[in-house]
Amino acid sequence: MAMGSIADTLWDVVICGTGLQQSLLALSLSRSGKNILHIDPNDYYGGAEAAFSLQEAESWVDRLATEDKGLFRSASITKPDVTGLSFPRAYSLALAPQLIHARSELLSQLVSSRAYRQVEFLAVGSFYIFKAPLGPDQQPSLVRIPSTREDVFSTTAISAKAKRGLMKFLKFVLDYHSPEQRDAWKPFADKPLVDFLQEHFKMDAELKTYIITLTLSLDGRISTEDGLAIIQRHLTSMGHFGPGFAALYPKWGGISEIAQVACRAGAVGGAVYMLDTGIKSMATAADEIELELSSGDKVKTKLLVRGDEKVGDGPSISRLVAVVGSSLKSLFESTIEGAPTPCVAVVALPAGSLTVSGEATTSPVYVFAHSSGTGECPNGQSVLYLTTMATSNAREVLNSALGSFLSAMEQDQAPQCLYQLYYEQAAGVKQSRLDELTLDLPGPSLSLSMDDSMLKHVREAWQKVVGETVDDAEYMVFTDREPVDDDDYE
Amino acid sequence: MADANTPKPSSSVKLVLLGEAAVGKSSLVLRFVNNDFQENKEPTIGAAFLTQKCNLPTRTIKFEIWDTAGQERFASLAPMYYRNAQAALVVYDLTKPTSLIKAKHWVAELQRQASPGIVIALVGNKLDLTSDSAGSAEVSGDGDDNAEDSGDARKISTEEAKTYAEEEGLLFFETSAKTGHNVTEVFTAIANAIPETSLKSARGPGASHAGASRTEEQRVNLNGPRDPNAKEGCAC
Repeated sequence: MAMGSIADTLWDVVICGTGLQQSLLALSLSRSGKNILHIDPNDYYGGAEAAFSLQEAESWVDRLATEDKGLFRSASITKPDVTGLSFPRAYSLALAPQLIHARSELLSQLVSSRAYRQVEFLAVGSFYIFKAPLGPDQQPSLVRIPSTREDVFSTTAISAKAKRGLMKFLKFVLDYHSPEQRDAWKPFADKPLVDFLQEHFKMDAELKTYIITLTLSLDGRISTEDGLAIIQRHLTSMGHFGPGFAALYPKWGGISEIAQVACRAGAVGGAVYMLDTGIKSMATAADEIELELSSGDKVKTKLLVRGDEKVGDGPSISRLVAVVGSSLKSLFESTIEGAPTPCVAVVALPAGSLTVSGEATTSPVYVFAHSSGTGECPNGQSVLYLTTMATSNAREVLNSALGSFLSAMEQDQAPQCLYQLYYEQAAGVKQSRLDELTLDLPGPSLSLSMDDSMLKHVREAWQKVVGETVDDAEYMVFTDREPVDDDDYE
Repeated sequence: MADANTPKPSSSVKLVLLGEAAVGKSSLVLRFVNNDFQENKEPTIGAAFLTQKCNLPTRTIKFEIWDTAGQERFASLAPMYYRNAQAALVVYDLTKPTSLIKAKHWVAELQRQASPGIVIALVGNKLDLTSDSAGSAEVSGDGDDNAEDSGDARKISTEEAKTYAEEEGLLFFETSAKTGHNVTEVFTAIANAIPETSLKSARGPGASHAGASRTEEQRVNLNGPRDPNAKEGCAC
C-alpha cells in the first residue's frame, strides 16, 4: 500500500490485538488485497497467548499490579535463592502452553495456507499419572498411560483384567458415533464421563483416572459427550504425523509462535503493524468507524475486529510456571522406534493425590513439562507449566504439586526450582459479537489443548471482510509465495 | 558429490535482514538465493520470506531468510522477525552516511532484544558505486574488472565501519549485490559463525551422543509422505 498517512486511508479492517484469533484473521486476509491496520495496545505480540522472556514476564507482572488487565490477576514472580538461572532472554515462557492434536483443524489451516513452513513443530510425548507414596517410607512415582493398542499389550503397569477393559473402551471410542454405540452413551451425554466409565465399562478408579487424564479435563468432570470426542481425537491423532505421538507443540512458545507467524504473513501481505497502540475512543458514522488511537492518530475503517477481554462465566484457572535446573531426561524419551524425540510430556496429579493443609485436592493438577528442545529454556533446564482450577488455596496446591512432581522425578536429590511465575486467568466470553461495524471475537480458551471451536469465529470474521465475492472454499488455501524445494522440509 | 552416500547433517537457521530503506537488503537476498539482480527494484512491502541452502564442508545450513521492509513506519514489525533469529544481517549503503547510523541503531536493538547468541553481520552494500570496486574484485577473483570510473560515491570508509564492527563483535563485509561481490561470502561466514550448540538440539549439558546428525530429529514434518493406511503407533 502507499506510504500516505494512516489517517488518509479508509481501512477495510482494523484488527486490535495480536492474540491467536486476531492473528489468524490477519493470516487469512493476507492475500485478500484488503487494507489492514493491525494494532495492539501491548508492546509485545500474542496477547493472552504471548510468550515472555524473564524481563518481559517481570514487566507484565508489574503492569498487572497497577492496572486491570481483564482476564489475568494475582500474578507474582518468585526467585528462590539459588544459582543457575541464565540470561533473561534465554527463556520464553508461554502464557498458553496448549497442545495441538494432530487432527486439529488449526494444523490443516496452517498446512493449506503454507504458514506451517515457518513453524517448527515438536512432538508431545507420553502422558503420565503421578502416584502418591503408598507408605511413609516410600517415594512417589510416575506411571505412563498406555494409549495405543501396542502400549496396552506391552504395559506391565496394569492387570490383565484392566487391559481387557481398556482395550474394550479404546475400540468403543473409535466407533462411538455408530448407531449401536450411540445408544450406549447417549443417556450419559451430559453426565460426567467418569459415571459412564463406571456404569458401562465397570472401570476401576485407576483406569478412570487414565481416561480422564487423556481428556485434560480441568475439573475432572468432563461430560460424556465432550470427553468421548476428545478421546477419539486423541486416538485418531496418534500416528497421524509420524509414529508415537498424538499432539504437537510449536517450538519457541507454542500458540504464541503461531500468532507471530500469522502476523508475519499479514505483514508480507501488506498489513500495517503498530504495537503499543490501543484504541482511545471511537465514533460511528454512516458506514464507517472513526477511531482515535493512543498514538494520537485518527483512522477510519469499515470494520473493527477486537478480542473480547471481558471476564465471562465459567471457572478460572491458576497457573504456576517453574524453571527447574534439570533436563528431566527420563520424561522425554520416545517409546517407539523412529519416533521424533518428544519435547513435551504431560503429567497429571489426579484429584485426591495430594494433601494440602490437611485436605485432599478436589481437582487434578496438570504438569506440562517442556525440555530445552522447545527453545523455552537453556540446555540442562526444563520449564514446567502447572495448571489447576482456581480455588482459594490453588497457589498452595500448585506449590505442593511442584514439590511432589520433582520428588517423583529423582529419588535422591530432587531437581532445584530456579524461578516461578504464578497467575490466575479468568474464563473469557464464549461467543463472538457481531454488530454492523464491529466484531468482537470470544476470549481466549482456557483449554489445555487447542480448542478448534474458536476457529469458526475467525472464519466468520474473514467472511465478513471479504464479502460474498469470495468462495468460502478458498478460506486459508494459498500457494507458496516463493518456490520451495520440498526436500528442504523432509 | 563425493559424500553422496553419507548425507551431511543439516540444520535450519533463521536469519533476518535489517537496515534503512533502499540500502539493498532484498537485492542481497535475491543475489544469494537466485544469483540475480534487478535495477530499480520496488520497495519491499511488509516483509518477504525466502530459503536457501549453504553447503559447508561438514554440514548443510538451510537459511530461512526474513527480508524486512526498510521503510516500515511504526517499528513494530522487526521484533517479530528477529525473535528467535540465530543470525541477522544489518545492511547499510556505503554511499549514504545516515544508513550507517540506522544500522548502528539496529545493532543496538538486536543486542538488547534478540537471542543472546545471535550472530550479527554488518554489511556495507553498493560497493559497485565506489572506485575500489575493481580492487576488491581482484581479492575475490570473480572477474569483475569493470571499475566504476564515473567517480567514487563512497561516503563511509572501510576503516570506520570495520572498527565499529570489531568493537561490537560483528562480522563485517563490503558487498555489491549488483556484481555479486562478497555476497555468498557473507552468508558462508554467518553459517560458519553459528555455534554448533545452537544447531544441535542437545539434551542437556555435555550431551554429545550422535553429534549433529540428531539436529532435526525432533522436528515433525507436517507435509511428509503419509500413508493413510499406515497403522504404526496408531490405536486403531
